Amino acid sequence: MAQVVRVMDNKVNPISNGSATPYAASIVGVSKRFGKTSVLHNITFHVAEGEALVLLGASGSGKTTILRIIAGLEQPYTGKIILHNKDVTELPARERGVGVIFQSYALFPKMTVEKNIGYGLRIRHRPRKEVKKTVNELLQLVQLEEHRKKYPSQLSGGQQQRVAIARTLAYKPEVLLFDEPFGALDAQTRSHLRREIRALLKKVNVPAVFITHDQEEALELGDRIAVINVGNIEQIGTPAEVYNNPTTEYVATFLGAANIIDGVVRKDRIEVGSTLIPARIDEKFKDGETVKIVFRPEDVLLSKTQPLPAGRACLSGGVVEETSFVGAYERVRVRLDPAGGAFESGDNPYYLTTETPESQTAKPIVVTRPKPEAVEVKLRRGDRVFVGLNAFTILPKTTRKTTPRP
Amino acid sequence: MRHVRGFDVTRPLSIGMLVFMMMPLVFLPLISIFIFGTNKGLASFWAALVAPEAVFALKLSMVTSFWATVFNVLFGLFAAYVLSRYTFWGRNALIVTISLPTAIPTAVAGVALLMLWGPFGILGRLLRPHGIDVMFTAGAIVLANIFVTFPLAFGVIKPVFDTLSRSLEEASATIGATRWQTFWHVTLPSLRGAIVSGALLTFARAVGEFGSTIMVSGNLAGRTQTAPLYIFAKFNEGQIEAANAIAIVLALFSFLVFSVLFFARDWLDVD
Repeated sequence: MAQVVRVMDNKVNPISNGSATPYAASIVGVSKRFGKTSVLHNITFHVAEGEALVLLGASGSGKTTILRIIAGLEQPYTGKIILHNKDVTELPARERGVGVIFQSYALFPKMTVEKNIGYGLRIRHRPRKEVKKTVNELLQLVQLEEHRKKYPSQLSGGQQQRVAIARTLAYKPEVLLFDEPFGALDAQTRSHLRREIRALLKKVNVPAVFITHDQEEALELGDRIAVINVGNIEQIGTPAEVYNNPTTEYVATFLGAANIIDGVVRKDRIEVGSTLIPARIDEKFKDGETVKIVFRPEDVLLSKTQPLPAGRACLSGGVVEETSFVGAYERVRVRLDPAGGAFESGDNPYYLTTETPESQTAKPIVVTRPKPEAVEVKLRRGDRVFVGLNAFTILPKTTRKTTPRP
Repeated sequence: MRHVRGFDVTRPLSIGMLVFMMMPLVFLPLISIFIFGTNKGLASFWAALVAPEAVFALKLSMVTSFWATVFNVLFGLFAAYVLSRYTFWGRNALIVTISLPTAIPTAVAGVALLMLWGPFGILGRLLRPHGIDVMFTAGAIVLANIFVTFPLAFGVIKPVFDTLSRSLEEASATIGATRWQTFWHVTLPSLRGAIVSGALLTFARAVGEFGSTIMVSGNLAGRTQTAPLYIFAKFNEGQIEAANAIAIVLALFSFLVFSVLFFARDWLDVD
């Protein structure tokens, strides 16, 4: 196993000339059309050595197409794919040295585990001894030694996945591509395998690109996350950046739950309803501009008394509409008071939306509270509360469905 | 039907009924050829079997069927590959055309081949001045066999091809295999069962082919007479034992083929 790791270290550090970039893989200006439908628009991102990048997006967002273009299974309409400083755009899949772990694992059903793993070396006509040695090392690495003589159909989903990974590691891939790697597994196996794969990747130090539609998976697996929406990269950054500072409403709502309300910029504050809350206002926002305030359910503070603890500004008062216990925390739905009592109906004081940016109908905000807090301050339906915010993000009011890029 | 103390009368009755119905339809005819073929003693059965014309007919049947099988399996594979991998205009029409010979009377197939390759046929007329005669040769028998058994191997291989996951081939490609390596190491092993079944079916069908063969072969004893034609000829000459001896061989042969198909099913489909 140590051998494998060392060999891979050698492999992934070929950069010596001056013009070389430190990236293991670069996707530059890639666009793709199927017939007249444009599915990818000028996609650019880089994967660093040993990094795990997650492409997160809904189905139909184009993330699978990006993966297939990197693998050479699809041709881009424009743009380049560069692997370790080598332009591979024109190369067929078999000459790229990319390891793809398919969603179905695509293990060869008529080959045993060891035959599957050794396949890449056998078709390269490596000496039998070398094949055997590498297969043994990889079997040890993925802990499947006692299953070496089995056929894929005799293995569990997790074991099959490990075979699929070992099969690609055998020929020392430039980059590993995982296509929805945990889609076919149950929730428990999933989180277990996520940790396992992460540990494995750190060990072999091969850069990896994952694609998934599961935000939890993205947060746990990725060193960085690229959020893909209708063929565009909405945002790319570390899990903390993308989660805490979403740059678009889509990112805010796709990655975790988010409450969105309208506000107006007033110098160094934001006016929400009748309240002014202090905020760091980005230069791009003009005074008097209407903006969107995005905040996570766990960043909301609920209190039965004023002033709010920790000196937080009170956003508004509200009425508890519903509480539900969801395991690790409590979820509370709160309907904010109409602004300054101007609206009696309580229906659309400021535009409250959750999840759907298009919807302009007033909706209650969603708040989550950790267990200790839920136990200490019990809330029931109809209780009056004061609502404060621990953290929030300010986004422009204009919602762009697609992000135009130069 | 009434249950008498837990005994289901329907079961033995229906099984008995099935066997009884198959008696005149299948069992008795088969048994008859064995009775007639051997009722003059095994010695005469053996003598009928090793008569030069009989041996020749059996050999010719085997050889022509073999080549028809080789061709049809290879072509069936190719056709199945093309028709399950690519979608194009006229694809369904092609599938129907390939499957058509199952529905055409074999005599019609024979006539059709004669109209093409025969001395006065469309192509035969042109080839004849060059001294090329396709009809009334062993080659003609192979052609007829191919025509008639065309859909069999294809029909078995195509459905398996359709179920093969595309991602297996893609995986093989990303691992670094050429198209040929992928076909040889990944696709072909998955088709093994279908290929063996297809070959056995084709071969069994070709060995027994009569209608088209009699039209195109000329039925020349010792030259273009296959085993079924031999049986027919001997029967017409009143040599019932000679006809029966070969009939027994053919019956046993098909029994063997279908036993293999039936009992090796698990092996053929092994994952």
